[in-house]
Amino acid sequence: MLIQTEDLWKIYEVGAEKVNAVRGISLEVKKGEYLAIMGPSGSGKSTLMNLIGCLDTPSSGKYYLNGRLVSELTEDELAFIRNKEIGFVFQTFNLLPRASALHNVELPLIYNGTEPEERKRRARAALKMVDLEDRMTHKPNELSGGQRQRVALARALANNPSLILADEPTGNLDTATGAEIMALLGRLHEQGNTLLIVTHELDVARYANRIIHIRDGKIEREEKFDK
Amino acid sequence: MQFLESILIALTSLKTNKLRSILTLIGVIIGVMTVIAVASIIAGMNRYVSDKISTMGSTTFIIDRVGIVMSDEEWWDAMKRKRLTLEDVEAIRENCQACEVVGARMFTLRKVKHKNQYLSDVLVMGGTANLHEISSMNVEHGRHVSEFEELHRRQVAFVGWEVADKLFPNLDPIGREVKVGGRDFKIVGVAEKKGSFLGQNQDNFVSIPVTTFLKVFGTRRNLDILVKSADLESMREAQDQARTILRLRRKVPQNKPDDFAIMTADTFMQLYRNFTSTAYLVMIGVSSIALVVGGIVIMNIMLVSVTQRTKEVGIRKAVGAKKRHIMWQFLVEAVTVALVGGIIGILMGTAIAKIVSATTPLPSAVELWSVVMGLLISSSVGIFFGIFPAMKAARLNPIEALRYE
Repeated sequence: MLIQTEDLWKIYEVGAEKVNAVRGISLEVKKGEYLAIMGPSGSGKSTLMNLIGCLDTPSSGKYYLNGRLVSELTEDELAFIRNKEIGFVFQTFNLLPRASALHNVELPLIYNGTEPEERKRRARAALKMVDLEDRMTHKPNELSGGQRQRVALARALANNPSLILADEPTGNLDTATGAEIMALLGRLHEQGNTLLIVTHELDVARYANRIIHIRDGKIEREEKFDK
Repeated sequence: MQFLESILIALTSLKTNKLRSILTLIGVIIGVMTVIAVASIIAGMNRYVSDKISTMGSTTFIIDRVGIVMSDEEWWDAMKRKRLTLEDVEAIRENCQACEVVGARMFTLRKVKHKNQYLSDVLVMGGTANLHEISSMNVEHGRHVSEFEELHRRQVAFVGWEVADKLFPNLDPIGREVKVGGRDFKIVGVAEKKGSFLGQNQDNFVSIPVTTFLKVFGTRRNLDILVKSADLESMREAQDQARTILRLRRKVPQNKPDDFAIMTADTFMQLYRNFTSTAYLVMIGVSSIALVVGGIVIMNIMLVSVTQRTKEVGIRKAVGAKKRHIMWQFLVEAVTVALVGGIIGILMGTAIAKIVSATTPLPSAVELWSVVMGLLISSSVGIFFGIFPAMKAARLNPIEALRYE
């Protein structure tokens, strides 16, 4: 089991009010799965993604990632887990604007102390996987939206993570480009990567083998597809 | 890589916004510049002065009526004292066993003429014939004034290099006459060129027998007594004996302090050190204010930089940057900014020291330690004032930072 959560809660205090963003979610994801988490805005899916992505810790409940209890780690330990286990893809790409595509892809490798030679080699390989080997020296503002998202994907892949976590990966792209990215994600899944996509679009969620619908911080229902 | 990247980010942002950069760096520049300029000038003077004072010799001391005065009051007190006389010199010479050579000298500034040529404000010195045995004065041509000439109040002169050069440009001055105070003096010797010391020309003098000096210029002038002891061991003894002799002759009561002053090379060195320590204090004051102001400006700029790059921090944290990674990045950036200021400060301080030594008689020497100091100071400012913004960046919450637009 790659992901296992037990009764995960996240409570925010906004002023005097307590907001229950995630209310007792128990979830299991196997290695090699392609899962989509769907829900309208305010459903708590972003909070759940932050928890699964180790960007945040739950108020209560347990979260095992790759067999390791990560729900009670410190900030720096979480940083280590994110670096090792998770590759993020964001709606707004989140690339460093002043750095080249290659450097952006190298970023996770910088923080785990990979030697510069090896780092470059692996970053190039990752960019090749997303068909961007001829755009390595370009900066984000010299690339199209689709190309930027592919750089972000390459960055997510660079460190061979256990999980690729995509938050609305097509949200800022036109339909055709979005489809391209989804096709690429499909290819990565076929190569054995575990994918988790957070979205509010059914068209996007349909690419997955399994959809979990979230509403009001709880799992509403689950759909499975055999492909 | 991280390191290099942070340095590059800092340099790029300095380059892209020049006016802001100048404003950012001006405090550090002024601070470091002051350190370098003052330290260089003092270092130059140190070498020069200790060199010059050491020529006075560690076995020589000077007795005079006034000594070194630090206030008007002291000056007026000293002015009430009796003058030292040639009889005092004679008494020391006879009664001080530890004193090897005892001489005396007096000064006045006069116009020195030869035919229609003249030099004004020449230092006219009346000295005993043995003076050259005490304070160095080498002969270029001819000889010093002799004891015989002193005894007989002869109108002879031993002149400085410049006096000879200006009044007798193409002639041998020996045997020729110069007019000083309305009298003719026959030149018996010319001194070696000495150059200038702290802006004072040392080649512009006329030395005549002290007896002649008294006859021509009168006795109402200060007389310095110069004493040389046989060796270092007898130096203290010589001073004590001379002091006792003078106190007796001047009838100073037991419970009263000396009404004259004894000065050694150490006295001058001490005086000089007092002066330089004041200069150092001023330097420390000016530069610390500038550095604190400069540091605060750097801190401000770094806080702006952290805010502007919140998103970047979020991205870096998402892909695995730990607190210390972020901290380092911003700290390196702050130190780079401060160091750029420091380097500019060093260059400007050096330039100022060079300009000062080129346009004034003050010497200067840029010393390695002051350059190292400048670099250390500026990087410390960077660290000290960069640490708060860097910590602020390191503590950013990754989710909020990612969401920041």
